[in-house]
Amino acid sequence: MTRLRRWRPLSSLVLLAALAAGPTSAHERPPAEEVYIQGDFTPRFTPPAPGTYELPAITRVGSFPVLERGRALRTQALLAGKIGVVSFIYTACSETLGCPLASEAMRRIQHQVAHEGLRERVVLLSVTFDDVLDRASELDAYAQRWGADRSLWHFVRAPSEQSLEAMLAGFGQDRTKLYDAHGRFTGRYRHTLKVFLVDQRGAVRNIYSTGFLVPQVVINDIKTVLNERGPDRLSPEEPR
Amino acid sequence: MNARRFRLPLTAALMTLSLLGLSPAVADETCQSPFLPKVTGQEDYVYVWTLGVTGVADGNDSLVTVDVRPGSPTYGRVIHRAPVRGRHEAHHAGFTDDRRQLWAGGLDDSYIFVFDVASNPAKPRLVKTITSFVKDTGGLVGPHTFYALPGRTLISALSNATDGSGRTGLAEYGNDGKFIRTIWMPKEAPYGYDVRVNVNLNRMLTSSFAGKKNYMRPFGELTKDSEAMKAFGDSVIVWDFHARKPLQILRVPGAPLELRWALQPNHHYAFTATALTHQLVLIYLKEDGTWATKTIADIGENIPVDISLAPDDSKVYVNSFMDGTLRVYDVSNPFEGKLIEQVKLGEMANMVSESWDGKRIYATNSLLSQWDKPGPYWLKAYAWEGGKLVPKFTTDFTAVGRAHIMNFGTAAPIVARGANQIAQRTRVR
Repeated sequence: MTRLRRWRPLSSLVLLAALAAGPTSAHERPPAEEVYIQGDFTPRFTPPAPGTYELPAITRVGSFPVLERGRALRTQALLAGKIGVVSFIYTACSETLGCPLASEAMRRIQHQVAHEGLRERVVLLSVTFDDVLDRASELDAYAQRWGADRSLWHFVRAPSEQSLEAMLAGFGQDRTKLYDAHGRFTGRYRHTLKVFLVDQRGAVRNIYSTGFLVPQVVINDIKTVLNERGPDRLSPEEPR
Repeated sequence: MNARRFRLPLTAALMTLSLLGLSPAVADETCQSPFLPKVTGQEDYVYVWTLGVTGVADGNDSLVTVDVRPGSPTYGRVIHRAPVRGRHEAHHAGFTDDRRQLWAGGLDDSYIFVFDVASNPAKPRLVKTITSFVKDTGGLVGPHTFYALPGRTLISALSNATDGSGRTGLAEYGNDGKFIRTIWMPKEAPYGYDVRVNVNLNRMLTSSFAGKKNYMRPFGELTKDSEAMKAFGDSVIVWDFHARKPLQILRVPGAPLELRWALQPNHHYAFTATALTHQLVLIYLKEDGTWATKTIADIGENIPVDISLAPDDSKVYVNSFMDGTLRVYDVSNPFEGKLIEQVKLGEMANMVSESWDGKRIYATNSLLSQWDKPGPYWLKAYAWEGGKLVPKFTTDFTAVGRAHIMNFGTAAPIVARGANQIAQRTRVR
């Protein structure tokens, strides 16, 4: 009998982490316009057991050029043969239910991946939305702030705006630059929080947003994909 | 089917619930997917997916923008119309999870029209038409509810291509328009209509209506056919959302239509209204982890259609088709619906939508092309003032088409927030 579990609210920990971290950036950015909310989420369920459900391919993503600490490589090389958990963030993002929530979830997933002996089969990847301001030093500081094990959790930026846009389009991740009344870029981006589960063949098998970014769900999904048998299951059909 | 057992006792939930009275209302406008960023304040536009009528405008179905900005010189008026080619039985529509697209369906030929509402929110633009829904899904017909999931859209269908009956299922498409999968309804409860997710409980509800051979048949003819009148759904299904597996079938006779989950996080219940038996029904989580239903009000023999829920879960709005009336029920105690307000909207009142701040109500008056009476057709806006619903404007649709579902839009960019809500919720826990 599956029992309800009351998850420690991820979002409250994010708040604490954000407070402890202090200013997120040297760049001055105005507060976001509060027109929308994302909701109020307190997950209270035990996720279905791994392998008891299916995760059909949502889309396929290609391989994109990225820079990790100045080293040029492709996402395929980072993810090769492993399950990828891919998150788009920017280091100065202060929206509680945006990047800090995504990174707190990634931190917990990192811990659980290591704890369950999955580190040889999983890669965590955070890609910055801000390929101009988020240089290697900013990403290093950010990774350190979130306690990243850099051999498991990679932080990269696109080598150019053009390649970033291609990557965002490939994943279906929205991002819009926000401008002030004078038409100046504010250093802020509009984006919905999405974390992508990418299988060994580059198929996106699940997408998590604010309301459903529950680390145990992600871990169970990783196990579900890893436990699939046969070539058909490892290589889901191309969606029509 | 195995109902899942929940550890949280209902009494504890109710205690938490009362504490949550301290927290601000957190909802949407008001009955959208929890995966969708919500418009918090004054909406700028109401997008109306509108049935085309022969001899009216170009006769095509269209997505119509009504300006609802108070003080605007075009307040309450149609400011844009984006027609599609032909008539498809325009019915329901819903945003993708990034609010960049509005997907709108045709119940007759199962076409799906994708509008870009981000590039110019006042003027949605048709960017894609999916004509392969029946083929993609292996025979689903009549795409009804369009419900945002992360990166994809969940669509509940009404019928199937084999016999036009009510046996049907759910389909998922990526935001890029690619088909992902079909999930057929269980044989014991084959009908479909609405689909709604409670993300905190990992539960999904589906309701049940009728197949194409009923909903595309002239209303007067249909009601005289006693056999056809038996072919309506009588169930609500509780699903494990993540697994997309049915857990429990609840018998709710008389075609339960719109489903509305309570919006407050500790309110573990939903409402529906039955079209044929005109009951307002509560669907609630029991202490043993299973779900049950209770009739909480009789709406009268008026064919209740759309319902909407107040952001604090205190009121349910019910529109009824036959007497053209909006009824407001106090459901502060969800086990008992008390009628507290009635407004005569006009013939064929149908959809009803409430704003996120609980202050404004919009209604339209077309149901199905074969069921509607002759016009006039309209969108009407009301606002709560001094405890009464006061009319604000009427938009005449007679020269546009027949107005059905409404979705709210704003010109402002989307930025999620929630720190205040989370801080307060953390404090009361």
